Amino acid sequence: MPDAKQPKADFSDVEGGSSSTAPAPSGRSYTVVKGDSLSKIAKHLYGDAQKWRKIYEANRDQIKNPDLIYPGQTFTIPDA
Amino acid sequence: MRTLHGRLYLLVILGGAVGVVGCKKGAPPPSETGAADTAAAAPAPAAPEAFAVAEVTLGKAIGTDKRVASPSTTFGPKDTIYASVATTGSAPSKTLTAKWTFQDGQTVKEGSETIAPTGPAVTEFHMAKPSGWPVGKYKVEISADGTPATTKEFEVKK
Repeated sequence: MPDAKQPKADFSDVEGGSSSTAPAPSGRSYTVVKGDSLSKIAKHLYGDAQKWRKIYEANRDQIKNPDLIYPGQTFTIPDA
Repeated sequence: MRTLHGRLYLLVILGGAVGVVGCKKGAPPPSETGAADTAAAAPAPAAPEAFAVAEVTLGKAIGTDKRVASPSTTFGPKDTIYASVATTGSAPSKTLTAKWTFQDGQTVKEGSETIAPTGPAVTEFHMAKPSGWPVGKYKVEISADGTPATTKEFEVKK
């Protein structure tokens, strides 16, 4: 138990920060429309259909099977 | 007899040919899809790994990989204190928060970092006090999207 008479510690000059190896979320998002596939979206947004996996990896909480995406789903689009 | 043998040979040869064609029919057809259906040709993905805080390590310095090289739970008054948070899994957006508190319950510092991990990642939080840390016991609570994940205690000694 801290002594009640002891002056309260002063933390007003504490400096701090943070950083990460993970990328920051991209501001871009894309809502799936009928006829879309991950590779079609990648082709449209990145100009390269082969980059479909980037979208898949960033949205794994929504995409259980990369062959099955549904109209109305909104995906985060990572930077290329 | 020759005629009969000849017919038998012919039947055997034809039967073999039919068998070969039958095997070919059973084989998977070549992909008829192009690059636009790359996803369809992709190997079955592993089950999505949920985001989780795996480990929190405290120390006085970190490397370029954001990991603490020499873990410690005891610090000097002039030390910069680092909390290196290793996470697993992916998420489009997760906010990690580090809340540092002193033994009397006072909040020393609170910081957060929003990340979009696509796999294992390390996020570091640090704090320093130019005038020197008061001696005593501290703790840092790490939470993800407001949900407490883990707490680490440490001490500042003279």
